[in-house]
Amino acid sequence: MAHGSKLMALNSQRMSILLPTGQPRIESMRMINITKRFPGVLANDKVNFDVKAGEIHALLGENGAGKSTLMRQLGGLYRPDGGEIHLDGKPVQFKSPADSIQRGIGMIHQHFMLVPTLTVAENVALGLPSSRGLQLDLDKVSQKIEKLAQRYGLKIHPDAYVWQLSVGEQQRVEIMKALYRGAALLALDEPTAVLTPQEVDDLFKVLRGMAADGHALIFISHKLHEIIDISHRVTVMRDSKVVATHPTAGSTKTQLAREMVGREVILQYDKTPYKPGAAMLRIEDLVVMGDRGQKAVHDVSLIVREGEIFGIAGVSGNGQRELAEALTGLRPVQTGRVVVAGQELTHAKPAQRIAAGQSAIPEERMREGVVKEFSVSENLILQDHGHEPYSRNIFLNFDAIAKESKRLIDEFRVKTPSAETPIKNLSGGNIQKVIMAREINRKPRVLICAQPTRGVDIGASEYIHQRLLEQRSAGTATLLISEDLDELLALSDRIAVMFDGKIMSIIDRDKATVERLGLLMAGVKA
Amino acid sequence: MSELFSLTVLTGIAYSGIRLATPYLFAALGEMFAQRSGVVNLGVEGIMLMGAFTAFAMATWTGNLWFALFCAAFIGLLMGLAMSFISVNMQAEQGISGIGMHLFGLGLSSLLFTKFLGSTKAITGFQPIKIPLLGDIPVIGEIFFNHNILVYLAFLLVPIAVWVLNKTTLGLKIRAVGVKPEAADSLGVSVSKIRYLCVSFGGVMAGIAGASLTLALINLFQENMTSGIGFIAVALVYFGGWTPVGVTLGALLFSLVNALQLWIQVLDKDKVIPSDFALMMPYVLTIAVLAFGKRTNQPAALTKPFDRGSH
Amino acid sequence: MSKINRRKFLTIAGTLSAGAALTACATPAPTAAPAAPGAAAKPAAKQFKIAMVCPSLVNDAAFSQSMYDAIMSVQKEMGGESALMLKYSDNVFQVPNAAAAIRDYAGQGFDLVIAHGTQYGNSLQEIAKDFPNVAFAWGTATDNFESKGLKNVFAYNPKAEEGGYVLGVLAAKMTKSNVVGVCGPVEAGDAKTFVDGFKKGVTDTNKAAKVNVTYTGNFSDVSLMAAAAETHTKAGADILTGSSQSVVGAIGIAKDKKIVWFGTQSNQANLAPETVGASQVYDWSGIVKEMISMINSGKKGTVSFESTLKNGGLKIVYNDKVAISADAKAAAAAATKDIADGKLKALP
Repeated sequence: MAHGSKLMALNSQRMSILLPTGQPRIESMRMINITKRFPGVLANDKVNFDVKAGEIHALLGENGAGKSTLMRQLGGLYRPDGGEIHLDGKPVQFKSPADSIQRGIGMIHQHFMLVPTLTVAENVALGLPSSRGLQLDLDKVSQKIEKLAQRYGLKIHPDAYVWQLSVGEQQRVEIMKALYRGAALLALDEPTAVLTPQEVDDLFKVLRGMAADGHALIFISHKLHEIIDISHRVTVMRDSKVVATHPTAGSTKTQLAREMVGREVILQYDKTPYKPGAAMLRIEDLVVMGDRGQKAVHDVSLIVREGEIFGIAGVSGNGQRELAEALTGLRPVQTGRVVVAGQELTHAKPAQRIAAGQSAIPEERMREGVVKEFSVSENLILQDHGHEPYSRNIFLNFDAIAKESKRLIDEFRVKTPSAETPIKNLSGGNIQKVIMAREINRKPRVLICAQPTRGVDIGASEYIHQRLLEQRSAGTATLLISEDLDELLALSDRIAVMFDGKIMSIIDRDKATVERLGLLMAGVKA
Repeated sequence: MSELFSLTVLTGIAYSGIRLATPYLFAALGEMFAQRSGVVNLGVEGIMLMGAFTAFAMATWTGNLWFALFCAAFIGLLMGLAMSFISVNMQAEQGISGIGMHLFGLGLSSLLFTKFLGSTKAITGFQPIKIPLLGDIPVIGEIFFNHNILVYLAFLLVPIAVWVLNKTTLGLKIRAVGVKPEAADSLGVSVSKIRYLCVSFGGVMAGIAGASLTLALINLFQENMTSGIGFIAVALVYFGGWTPVGVTLGALLFSLVNALQLWIQVLDKDKVIPSDFALMMPYVLTIAVLAFGKRTNQPAALTKPFDRGSH
Repeated sequence: MSKINRRKFLTIAGTLSAGAALTACATPAPTAAPAAPGAAAKPAAKQFKIAMVCPSLVNDAAFSQSMYDAIMSVQKEMGGESALMLKYSDNVFQVPNAAAAIRDYAGQGFDLVIAHGTQYGNSLQEIAKDFPNVAFAWGTATDNFESKGLKNVFAYNPKAEEGGYVLGVLAAKMTKSNVVGVCGPVEAGDAKTFVDGFKKGVTDTNKAAKVNVTYTGNFSDVSLMAAAAETHTKAGADILTGSSQSVVGAIGIAKDKKIVWFGTQSNQANLAPETVGASQVYDWSGIVKEMISMINSGKKGTVSFESTLKNGGLKIVYNDKVAISADAKAAAAAATKDIADGKLKALP
């Protein structure tokens, strides 16, 4: 391998300690005064950041703070407009991803860089020279993958196709790709965003092992408890600048949140007293089929009352998605009944549900919540464009639409260049605010809300939570489906746990604890 | 009509089918590589016309068929490079620029033909070569081992294409670039280089496909003589599910049915079957296969330009 | 629109216009050649102006060339450009484009506008109505639209079956395998009558001979035409014939297989001198001359012309480089005479 011999040469010069992969360690990596501009945006403003061998250094910041841009420069995808990158004290320049890889840097991108139609071994071998010249040597690659997998505790089948793998498995393939290429420094961009709690635990085990072996690790996240759990040091970025770098030990979530958002963040909300009213959403013995024809929702019955947030907890894939889809008319109901505000809507179309006073915030917000190519204002009137004030007869009233859009954008603090900006150009949090604005503006009596803050930064999450609590005070009956236990505990009045399509138990908030919910989520009846 | 199932006729159909498949095979295999790398080149037809003209002109002037073939391949390379530049660097809409390339080839080949040759005179093209021993096997020898050199080359290309695509590091890069270019890019594979290579190769193959018409199949040139072969070659890539074997089977099926319908016309003395009906057969078949076949293999990044900053 | 988009657009536009421009200049520009130097001095009768629209190139060695050659020969006879001027648009296969060209020419003061293609008929009928002072001609066709009230349309039609029959006689005399192949384009018009006449000529002359006929379904698919010729040879044919501009594909195969080809529409001997035994040549010059004299005397239509062996509109032209026995030629000559005298029907 060409770069292998080069690294050997470097190694003999430096006499450094080898990693288990046989590669030399990167003792230190420093990014000094990095500045990166895009047309109209200063993405990195004199950023300083460093990591040492054996260290897990967390990079914390809200979406758009400049974390990913900084990492893309380390990975050779962008070149800095100013500043230097030093490896082991020497300045280096990365002209391309290949350059960066050759220097021992591995990037695990938030969106996996895997080719789904290829096998694990093929993904790993892609772009590498083969020991057989022109011809591939996948058998040898597979052997080496298995050896590395064993050493690092990564469960991987080299011959499996990537499209067959779960998200967690795909992430392991990404890590394998980096290790196989001799990565001494590994940068992981939001690696836990798509993982289940179990997969997060497995990942952390692997990362701790790698640090112990002498790898340098950069862990990018905006999840505070994970950063406190895994990292040795933390650097906080806000508005393209570094605002703090300090050891993680002794930091609190409140402190990190303040550094990240730039103001005091409320992690515990003040709730008005729980005063449930009449039953607004009544679900009786509901059965819904999943994609593969199995019973995904199994005889579920529950009642959500006026002025109540009813939480549904559960590990992803236990029927929550199918339940939400059935309630919004996107998936047929097999048997059972759904009654909204006294009106039977079991088999109703989405429009009938809206007319009955039901709003929904869907889990797949890009697919089911908005029309990507439409502007912010068009998305704001998506379901309501057919009646006043947005239209009269068959004509849209553009003045009224513009006025109303502006009011909603201001009221819901949507950060957008203009109401006419295509919504796909907004961040996840702001897209969610647009959906919230549209759905809540309708003054719903029932709100079906699925994973409202997944992938949304902490500032926007806090705002979304406040709005949900406002709706509660206003008397809306909210069904809140979430995989984030902190969110459920902070907002809900009662919590049901779903497991294998069934409701395990319904618990009042004051009797719910993380431990109790965790056991129920694993299918253990207390 | 019972003669249809006589040995002579069946042999004739098989022989003609194989012979007819040659230009489709060259063009479609080249196009398959372009598409596997993520670029649809709808200009195949135009490149074929230029290849056909170049080969014919060179053969007329120099009498050297191999030199003529080389020149056609070279013209194909130039047009393939132009198409690469338009689709990779300029990131133009591939469908439209492909049509532009077709019109360019159509217009330029007609212009050059009128200007430099004017009227046509048939050339003596590549003659059938009987392969020793194999060519003497009854029936089999006649069907498979008594063709001109370009037929052999076209079919030799199939296993080579399979090998390159599935067993080499280059093939792995091509497969990756066509499905997820950003993944290949992140591993230091140059998406541009791979696409240039594949589209240019497709151009060379289209040039040779055109030459196979004038140097072996027809021995004459006429304006717009390809009359849709290049477009059918593009369809065959979809038909064949983006695999060399699939594309080959598609080309053979299409050609065999075409040969069959001609034989039906020859044997159907009393015109029981209207000629129009016989003529529809290959197209009906193509539509049927496209409609009912599964399209799971389409490269995910097909027709999508790659830009590192855009994701 | 971003900068890149505009650039993209320009690229595409550039490619397209380059292609279009090349297509346009590939065909000789439809402008009249400058008048001959002496023309102005000559106080001859006023210049007669003809415009022609045809579906393939005027050097297609077939249908379009036959009319082009005829007008050129009439021009020569009349004394060149100054006496007869021709403007033409060739390779206009699409009817809407042809209709536009015919309308343009009609409005430009031509004495005669020839729509040389059966498919142009419907369009011509509408256009001729709008230009009652311009004479039009179309073919191959038998309907001059007089029944539709038009007084300014000539029609012309070759009795292609006559030459077909004579060539069939030659083929029947020459075949050794007793199998003759016919490569037809579309089963319609003069292609069909030629094929039918040829078949009758063969079978009347040689009862043992078989005639195999294929059609490719269009006038332009050269490679399918080649495949058809290939199939005929596999089926044992040692003489081939065929009609339309796409037969070059078949002639290439005939040359390759060293068998004899009989052509029609134009003299095809120069495509493959050692292969083409004889051609039925459409000589429209007689009809063109007659139309000119009628127009000059004020008659602008209502006549349907027929090209026949008798009136010289059809000719059998032999190619000396291909040996044909005197016996065969004599039989052909006899058939020609019988047809001309009306003693023999060329069509079944």
